[in-house]
Amino acid sequence: MIFENTGFYFREALLSFRRSTLMSMAAILSTTTILLIVGIFLLISVNLNLFLENLESQLEIVVYLEDDISQAEINNLKSNITSIDETKEVKFVSKEEAYQNLLKNLGEQKDILSAIEKNPLPASFEIQVKDPKMIEQIANQITKFKKVEEVEYGRETAERLLNFTYIFRIAGMLVLFLLVFASILIISNIIKITVYARRNEIEIMSLVGATAWFVKWPFIIEGFLQGFISSVLSTIILYNFYFFAVNKVHQAIPFLPLVVDNVDLLPMGIAIVLLGSFVGILGSMFSVGKYLNV
Amino acid sequence: MIRMFHVYKNYPNKIQALRDINIHIKKGEFIFLVGATGAGKSTFLKLIYRGIVPTKGQVIVDGINIARLKPGYIPYLRRNIGIVFQDFKLLYDRTVYENISFGLKAIGATNFEIRQQVKKVLNLVGLENKRKIKPHLLSGGEQQKLCIARAIANEPLILLTDEPTGNLDPYTSWEIMKLLFHINIRGTTIIMASHDKLMIDKAKKRVVRLERGRIMEDTERGTY
Ligand SMILES: Nc1ncnc2c1ncn2[C@@H]1O[C@H](COP(=O)(O)OP(=O)(O)OP(=O)(O)O)[C@@H](O)[C@H]1O
Ligand SMILES: [Mg+2]
Repeated sequence: MIFENTGFYFREALLSFRRSTLMSMAAILSTTTILLIVGIFLLISVNLNLFLENLESQLEIVVYLEDDISQAEINNLKSNITSIDETKEVKFVSKEEAYQNLLKNLGEQKDILSAIEKNPLPASFEIQVKDPKMIEQIANQITKFKKVEEVEYGRETAERLLNFTYIFRIAGMLVLFLLVFASILIISNIIKITVYARRNEIEIMSLVGATAWFVKWPFIIEGFLQGFISSVLSTIILYNFYFFAVNKVHQAIPFLPLVVDNVDLLPMGIAIVLLGSFVGILGSMFSVGKYLNV
Repeated sequence: MIRMFHVYKNYPNKIQALRDINIHIKKGEFIFLVGATGAGKSTFLKLIYRGIVPTKGQVIVDGINIARLKPGYIPYLRRNIGIVFQDFKLLYDRTVYENISFGLKAIGATNFEIRQQVKKVLNLVGLENKRKIKPHLLSGGEQQKLCIARAIANEPLILLTDEPTGNLDPYTSWEIMKLLFHINIRGTTIIMASHDKLMIDKAKKRVVRLERGRIMEDTERGTY
């Protein structure tokens, strides 16, 4: 059915853009604005997420080893720890390295150590985990291994941090959900207005005997074009504006981690374009349905 | 062509627009539907093209029970019915020509058929030299003629006209009447809702009188 009259549907859709240029422009402009707001929030939230991930990745487990551990036992222990699925990186710090680190950290005050003859620091493993939520479980597992003196992971800090990031993420999701929901309502209402302006046409078509789909198609195409153009427009604006902002921020705070990879940004652009297009299509379909059948 | 059996129509606000309507309209008839304002004339016409469904009773149009018609088939019923609306329902942002071609395109006519038919009906109603202008520049009578042209463009079996001579001078009214008679003679069944005493008395056609939703009179060669 659509194939027979595709040309006509497209011509009608484009004609209606021309007949009511102002209306269409207003619709595109307002839809673009709404999608910009959604986009800005998306960008803020992915950066916030990156920031939280960074915070979380600083959580690590330190495993202090008994002083009489042999090299073979160290190797054995390391491979045991590495074989735990949730560990990401296992780094060995020898007694000597630990001592040097301490020296470095003390700086000017390193004289304090001269009173001590023997190196009092234990050798250790520093372990990074894949999922910070698993940190306690992994720590408990390692405690059971031989030659392990003590396992430390800053239990309180970890819990507090994880609680904080959890709440932040849930809140972010909620706001995102509301924002998307609101934007769907607003965009479909904008489309409703453009359809309302042409209710006479719809009524007449259906009174002379046009089928429902025949009436709907031009509107669906128009709604799609409106949504698509708006969302592409807002994506382009967001993209340029975002990189401009990232540059400015990096000038002020050079090492602040920000999402700049296109692989991460592209899905958001696609999501916005899909959102705009789908709401355009569905919005016009339902709005036309209201004026059909008189 | 059209039959109604014990038809009632109540609107949501409890108004009984039609009560116990029984009528048989044969193919090729010309009928005046008369009655005071609010008597139910427009409602009667709406039932025929299934703009509304009866609250009770049966409406049969060309053998089809309109109340049982599935929504998907309504367009095909309407392709057999031309309608001239009381409020015109013209598209004022399209030309005279486009107002007619628009309807034909909507029912799937080819471009060739559309050109042929639009030319033919514009000639018939005498608007061929106004085909490129927008309807708001036409006089009331010309707009009425355009509505008729649009309604008959796909050669329907039935033509429903709702006060087509409503606000016109007697001369123009008679012109429109002659146009309708001409269409009727070619075999189209016509129902015309009207207050136009002068035309009705002159025409000597079947008159159906509605009063507060009931048929109070149904006479061959009647008067207002
Ligand atoms: N959609 C509707 N909802 C509620 N009431 C309606 C509706 N349409 C018509 N009515 C009522 O039904 C009654 C009949 O209306 P209808 O339009 O059929 O009258 P009519 O004979 O065509 O009048 P007129 O000569 O003024 O055109 C009136 O009382 C009107 O107010
Ligand atoms: Mg009426």
